Amino acid sequence: MSFPNMLYGRVLKSPHAHARIKAMDVSGAEAMGAVTLTPEEVPDVTYCPRLVSIPSATYKDWKVLTDKPHYVGEAIGAVAAESEEEAQKALEAIEVDYEVLGASFDALESMKPGAEPIHDEIYLEDDLLKVENNVGCQLEITEGDPKALEDADVVIERTYRTNRRYHNQLETKSVMVRPEADGGISVWSTTQTIHNTRLLLHDIYGIPMGKIRVYKVALGGSFGSSIHVNPVVNVAVGLALKSRRPVKLSYTREEDIRDHCAYQMIFKLKLGAYKNGKLAGGRLEAYLDIGAHQIQAYPLLGCVVGWWVSLYKLPYKDYVGKAVYTNKVPSCAFRGYGNPQISWVVETMMDELAGKIGVDPLDFRLNNYIGEGDIFWGQGPSVKSIIQSCGVEEILTRGAEMVDWYNRPNPEEQTGRYRRGWGVGRGYHTSSAGAPVPSSIVDFGGAMLKMNEDGTFDYVSALMDHGCGTQDAHIKIVAEELCVTADMVNIIRADTGTTVYDVCTHASRGVYSGGGAALKVAMKVKEKIRDFAGKILDAYPHAVRIRYDEEREQAVVFAEGIEGREVTYREIAETARHKNWGTAAAVESYRQPSCPPHFTGYFVEVEVDTWTGKVKLLRVVAGADIGTVINPMLAAGQVHGGFAQGWSMTVLEDLPYDPDDGDLVNRGSVANYKVPTTMDMLDLDDLTVFFADTYEPTGPFGAKGIGEGALNPVAGTVANAIQNALGVRFFQLPITPIRILEALREKEG
Amino acid sequence: MTINKVNTHIVPIEFEYHAPGSLDEAVALLEKYGEDAKILAGGTDLIPHMKQRKTEPKHIVNIKKIPELACIEETPDGIKIGALAKLRAVELSPQIREKVPMLSEAAGSIGSVQIRNLGTIGGNICNASPSADMATALMALEATVHVYGKDGAKEYPIAEFFQGRSDVSLERGELLTGFTVPYPPEGAGSAFEKVGWTTFDIATVNVAAVLTLKGGKIDHCSIALGACSPAPIKVALAEEILKGKEPTDEVLEEAMEFVAACVEPRKRWRRAPPEYRRRSSQALAMDAVGRAVEQARRHQ
Amino acid sequence: MEIEITINGRKRRFDVEPNKLLLNLVRDELYLTGTKYGCGIGECGACTVHLDGEAVLACMVLAVDADGRSVTTIEGVADGDKLDPVQEAYIEEGAIQCGFCTPGFIMSTKALLKENSDPSEGEIREYLKGNYCRCTGYVNIIKAVQSAAKKMQG
Repeated sequence: MSFPNMLYGRVLKSPHAHARIKAMDVSGAEAMGAVTLTPEEVPDVTYCPRLVSIPSATYKDWKVLTDKPHYVGEAIGAVAAESEEEAQKALEAIEVDYEVLGASFDALESMKPGAEPIHDEIYLEDDLLKVENNVGCQLEITEGDPKALEDADVVIERTYRTNRRYHNQLETKSVMVRPEADGGISVWSTTQTIHNTRLLLHDIYGIPMGKIRVYKVALGGSFGSSIHVNPVVNVAVGLALKSRRPVKLSYTREEDIRDHCAYQMIFKLKLGAYKNGKLAGGRLEAYLDIGAHQIQAYPLLGCVVGWWVSLYKLPYKDYVGKAVYTNKVPSCAFRGYGNPQISWVVETMMDELAGKIGVDPLDFRLNNYIGEGDIFWGQGPSVKSIIQSCGVEEILTRGAEMVDWYNRPNPEEQTGRYRRGWGVGRGYHTSSAGAPVPSSIVDFGGAMLKMNEDGTFDYVSALMDHGCGTQDAHIKIVAEELCVTADMVNIIRADTGTTVYDVCTHASRGVYSGGGAALKVAMKVKEKIRDFAGKILDAYPHAVRIRYDEEREQAVVFAEGIEGREVTYREIAETARHKNWGTAAAVESYRQPSCPPHFTGYFVEVEVDTWTGKVKLLRVVAGADIGTVINPMLAAGQVHGGFAQGWSMTVLEDLPYDPDDGDLVNRGSVANYKVPTTMDMLDLDDLTVFFADTYEPTGPFGAKGIGEGALNPVAGTVANAIQNALGVRFFQLPITPIRILEALREKEG
Repeated sequence: MTINKVNTHIVPIEFEYHAPGSLDEAVALLEKYGEDAKILAGGTDLIPHMKQRKTEPKHIVNIKKIPELACIEETPDGIKIGALAKLRAVELSPQIREKVPMLSEAAGSIGSVQIRNLGTIGGNICNASPSADMATALMALEATVHVYGKDGAKEYPIAEFFQGRSDVSLERGELLTGFTVPYPPEGAGSAFEKVGWTTFDIATVNVAAVLTLKGGKIDHCSIALGACSPAPIKVALAEEILKGKEPTDEVLEEAMEFVAACVEPRKRWRRAPPEYRRRSSQALAMDAVGRAVEQARRHQ
Repeated sequence: MEIEITINGRKRRFDVEPNKLLLNLVRDELYLTGTKYGCGIGECGACTVHLDGEAVLACMVLAVDADGRSVTTIEGVADGDKLDPVQEAYIEEGAIQCGFCTPGFIMSTKALLKENSDPSEGEIREYLKGNYCRCTGYVNIIKAVQSAAKKMQG
């Protein structure tokens, strides 16, 4: 994107993991003609960049530009100039004097007495909070009788540590801001939510909402990294307001990798089971290494327990979750929102428990899974609903048959260089955060639909599509309801000024929840069409029927059995105009009454080279229960992509820090943050995706989501396959060749 | 710290650009500007390094206009490959595939097609990265390096070219012009192996092997190991063990001990610790030698 | 410096600084924004263009180095409104999710099919390994390349 008279922005980033800025001299940059922005020049507002939770559940510790940076890469200033080259030179001319402070790079260390306090004070809604032991927020929940766990025949307790992953979304965080003559601004940015972007900019800059227009743009996949308003957006607005010129600010890859990452978690999990193959209960301690700021740590603490207790029935459950500050890049949602992490742990321990009590791991899962009719609190304790559709059994039994599960290898019988193993793993994810009662999470959307005078439709929604086929699915839903072809429904380019509120494209809610709004407006418009047609045909509106006429390429409304009593949409729309009846249009908001889980299950076969530690994928069978499959090709595409991300999470990705200077060990270079290539995945013939035959009564045409469930079970499944090959279990991700060789050396010498 | 200096959107430094049309012109420029000048060949290392401020040359000497530097031709002494020959050309050259297939294999293992369409064999060597795949392959093939300077042309064995990590034995005003890769002995088998984090990665370890069999026993034998020491090296002790012996599992395993022993731990080895390199260098050497033996058997 | 580059079949003259990247020339001067910045260091392939018919990375080529040569970007692939068979195949096979990597993939695929009209799955995977996609797991992309090869053979 570009505008005439546009400036290029660059962000001045802290080179220190924790410091106080004593002085900043921007005169050199200004002498070059650049516009500069310092912490004193932006509103002194402490904010939270994610506005999905209600205010009383929103912790705030961010500044647009800070004079006390908490991680290497945090924005402390900015420049804008006529070209990126000039902006770069101006950036390098800024001089900063720092007082370097102590820093912490590990969550457990950070909580110890004597550790350097990272934030002294933060806000919860508008109340000042004192931070103790660097714990940003915490959550404790207990349900059931602890005796259940005490009476268990077998109890396992272990500590697990996940990796710190970078979304590595191909489009780096970028924004264009144009100041408008009326004192407002227009914003085009990488966001999953235009309305929340507007809300936050209003909160920070005090511009009346109607004068902030945030536009929907074609967006690259973001995988959760733009649920919150990306920090560059707020900085660019400051630059544009000061310079009174359009400003483009686009992060480079090395800036982007120091902008966001997934939540790294340390879990202490205790699970108990009875000899009869039933789970007794469990206790989970979760320490989330959130990095230097909170984005959505508090709701995540709720989700982590929700994800944990909704996989398998636990008569007793006890949970303590703490979100811990460290001097690292702030963590945010990443496809699955903690679910891939906890599912890896649970699925790993389920296998281990099954082994201890002597049942097959697959049977153990079938014995204990949470399914139809059970209470589900996927999005945490405040979002509960009853499961109304469940394909778990079908996924597991069909998959097991396809891979001949019960004849998989025995690790103890393998001794050669190459060893093979099969693993199974389950997962699910909620589709949206809907529930029958209000919770601390906002989840509703809205849509507008109108019939055009040629019988086609314009569909307007604020919901962003970042490559999951969401808009395509909406169009299909609307077209299906109105009995027209998909190409008769246009998606209209929209912005905050022309749409009603939608919370965000996240939580696999695009099809289920957003699609629910689409269906609601389509039904309303259909009612009006029936009314109009009734008048024209002299028939009762509730009695007329609608069909698509391929010859006329029009939907036709007709009174059944009565010759000649029919009229096309085009004729209806024209008549309505000529007779001044108005437009068949509707605007609706919609909240889903539940958040039904979509279920997934994987069977994975690997081969481990015990000399190089390399793990090779041999075969993958993926089953998914997503209710009615609206677009099979795109839904399968979500499974393919989810699997690839999960595979990468299991064996490759991590973001270690260098404690000497507090920066990433890879120094921001993706040459040292590897992700799988075409050659690291398996051949087409070795990957099978199938869908369970289910119908979700609350979903549009029976549909549920798929985006996140596709990823969640993968790490657990692959880890179990590696265990089946080697007879070794891993309690830390990623399971790299280096760790595999270390473990084998320990086991076999 | 360079966090505010790195910018991979652009080349954030300014330089004077030169595109000499002849070797003498190029050498004169290099002589004149010395350390202030950098040679631009493929650019696949130089350009990212400038973006990352690992190098800030004041002069760029683009040598692509010097036609003779891109040759690949058969000579009585071996295949002559110009420093500017693209990695993709080395990979696909029919002469190289026929006479020194291992070099083609090694070239094809580097980067991606797009990188190989830009990157050159000379550039891969001149960066003197310990993990350069061409370097390990050329070491095993015992190539000769051709250098041109103000005093004219000279040549020496490739082993003498590397002075350690990121350092090569080029004097001020000297330019690497190419290599002569001697034809391996009649009936030779050869193989190149590497391991990285993914299939598109620099080598964590790479190994190249060339050998012949005589009466079922290993005769000629050359093994080179990369990414395990400041520069790729020949594993002479392993070669000695193998020579004159039948390549049984026991013999190979004995020889591989010496491969592992060549791993020289570095203080900051981010990609893998020494122990991993030891184990995987053995594995790759086994694979490379094993494949070379198979090939040599087929040639008999 | 004065340079002349044939871009998508048209000769164009530019006056550029020697440090200008080909990527930024096509994006900022010609508004051919289908060629994407993804990493700037040759890791992702999003900036793949054809230079004298060969797939290269525009983030690693100086504009001055393209002087006198011919460059094809994704915008030069379709014939007017008629999509190239490779583009059609990517759409039909669901190979496009977020679409950010797609131009680079299509440029690589075009180069592959020019060299090898009937590639095996392994050859496709080898040829495309410099193009990174976070969305698809590459499955539908590989299918699209196979389908494009079939289409082009007629």
